[in-house]
Amino acid sequence: MTSAAPSPHDLELLSITKNFDSFTAVDSINLKVGRGEFVAIMGPSGCGKTTLLRILAGLETASSGQLYIRGKDVSDVPVNLRSTRLVWQNYALFPHLDVAGNIAFGLTLKAHDKAIVAGKVKAMADLVGLSDLMGRKISQLSGGQKQRVALARALVTEPDILLLDEPLSALDAHLRIRMQGELRRIQKQLGMAFIYVTHNQVEAFSMADRVVVMNKGHIEQIDAPEDMYARPKTEFVARFVGTNNLFPGRIQEIGHGKAIVHCAHGQVQVSTDDPPPVGTGVFVVVQADKLKPAPTGVAGENRLEATVRGREYAGSHNIYLLDLVDGTEVKMTLPQVLPLEINQPTTIWFSPAHAALIRGAA
Amino acid sequence: MTTVETSATKPMRTPNDSPLKIWFLAPLAIWLTVFFLLPLIFLLWIGFWRVENFQSVPDFSLGNYADIFASFFSKSRYGLALIQSLWVAITTAFFATILSYMVALSIAFAVPARWQRLALLIAIAPFWSSYVLRLYSWQTILSRNGVINSVLKQFGLADYRIDLIYTQIATRIGLIHYLAPILIVILYVSILAIDRVLIEAARELGCTRWQAFTRVILPLSRFGLMTAASFAIIVSLGDALSGNLLGGGAGTSIIGKLPTYASMIMSDYSSSTNLPRTSALATILIVVMVLALAAGFVAADRARRRTS
Repeated sequence: MTSAAPSPHDLELLSITKNFDSFTAVDSINLKVGRGEFVAIMGPSGCGKTTLLRILAGLETASSGQLYIRGKDVSDVPVNLRSTRLVWQNYALFPHLDVAGNIAFGLTLKAHDKAIVAGKVKAMADLVGLSDLMGRKISQLSGGQKQRVALARALVTEPDILLLDEPLSALDAHLRIRMQGELRRIQKQLGMAFIYVTHNQVEAFSMADRVVVMNKGHIEQIDAPEDMYARPKTEFVARFVGTNNLFPGRIQEIGHGKAIVHCAHGQVQVSTDDPPPVGTGVFVVVQADKLKPAPTGVAGENRLEATVRGREYAGSHNIYLLDLVDGTEVKMTLPQVLPLEINQPTTIWFSPAHAALIRGAA
Repeated sequence: MTTVETSATKPMRTPNDSPLKIWFLAPLAIWLTVFFLLPLIFLLWIGFWRVENFQSVPDFSLGNYADIFASFFSKSRYGLALIQSLWVAITTAFFATILSYMVALSIAFAVPARWQRLALLIAIAPFWSSYVLRLYSWQTILSRNGVINSVLKQFGLADYRIDLIYTQIATRIGLIHYLAPILIVILYVSILAIDRVLIEAARELGCTRWQAFTRVILPLSRFGLMTAASFAIIVSLGDALSGNLLGGGAGTSIIGKLPTYASMIMSDYSSSTNLPRTSALATILIVVMVLALAAGFVAADRARRRTS
């Protein structure tokens, strides 16, 4: 792609909206993807992430908004002339062509030099580890091999941006981890921007430079994985990402980098540099592994009286479900060496520094 | 593998298995025997009979075949008629398949999903009327003073009158009209089996609409096309009606005025009392059909293996 003024962004979305009849699948999305950035778009099914990806690929036309690839407006460029390539969820490989034929497909559509195409196909097969399978039929490949062919077929055309639609969802857990590593390696090696759509948190957080969480057609939060995990900004993200406890309450008092929140089960102190004004409805968010059981806590920590209701065994640790005095459910992650007894009252603590505030509780 | 018990014990049978299930083969076996094997064997057998005093006598004589092949390309011109038949059948199959493929494509890709069944039903509507009736309709359309020529005359183009009736072109028109509904169904089903995602994937990889057709849809239709074409060839080879009613028995063609082989069998049957000879003629046609079918099978199988 040639552009008059080189843009610092590979991809730029300006209030992209897609309506299907009366239903808004994608609701004024704004997003900028930097050069060679790996961005994961995550959300529950029906959140609009796949529709958004199809708009980027040119398979759907946005109802309104602008789309720029490397600074060039491509909103009206038809699918076959876009400089993006999509890796399909179920690979969509051509059954009438062998592995080499599938990889070469995109290169043979225009006038081409056979030797150059063969060279590119071979180099790409080496990159994704398919060199020994070039003559195989698609039906003779395993899931992981098909995945590699799909990737090679897209990458060999040297797109500006690679779009991936749940590419690993059909693979078993073991292979998925291996492919995650490999995707990241290839992405780094090519320095190509990847837009990776998934409903799988682990995939998104393991690979991406930045994660976009979508819900009901709009973006809830864009952040680096660690920041998203540590500081969810909306109730939806707090519930969707990680294992968080949310206590609805109202700001009672502010000062000294702290806020005191009045919750149904009592007062909670939260460290914050930017407290909302007194009276604001908020959620106090505490990660499940930041809760500690002890008869006595450190001075200044928040104390909760609870009853242990159930235990979920997860190998190295247990996830306990507890009820607070007012009936609020709390999840707590503890290592196996710290067992709790079911149906016994206990006291749990958490530091104000480990709690975060989200505006929005009624 | 080496245990002694396995050879002594009965094969494992699940509780839901019944020894009576073999009887489910009966309808198929009876059908094949009564309507296929017995008539076929009877036909082949009579071909070796001989005629004495205007009576067919059971025998095992190759006389009929010797008689037929002695004048295959000369007096009786059976061989030329066979070539005529093959030529008409192959060209008919070619055009019928292409026309039907275009109709099937437009139903599958241009008609909204909810209207496709109706469109298919309308496309195959001619199948509901009698074949002979359709041939007579074509006669009135194609004849010297028929619909086409009357219209030309109305526009003062009487000099450009076209004589289609009693040519093998007319034979083909009748056959194509007869075959198209069946071919449309065969081809529509095979197009429907193509995963639409593959077409989107092709477009996404940079195919123009035309390239998506030539690179993906056409190769993946190959099995359906081969099946349709071989079906069309077999039916055209065996059909005598269109050749008799529209081709006028011996229709004009690039080979000359010649009947199709099936027409010849029919006139042979009605004009002579030599049933064994007619059977031998029919046997020759069956052999040609089996060869054509085998060729079609091989081609279709190759197409299928390439796409699976």
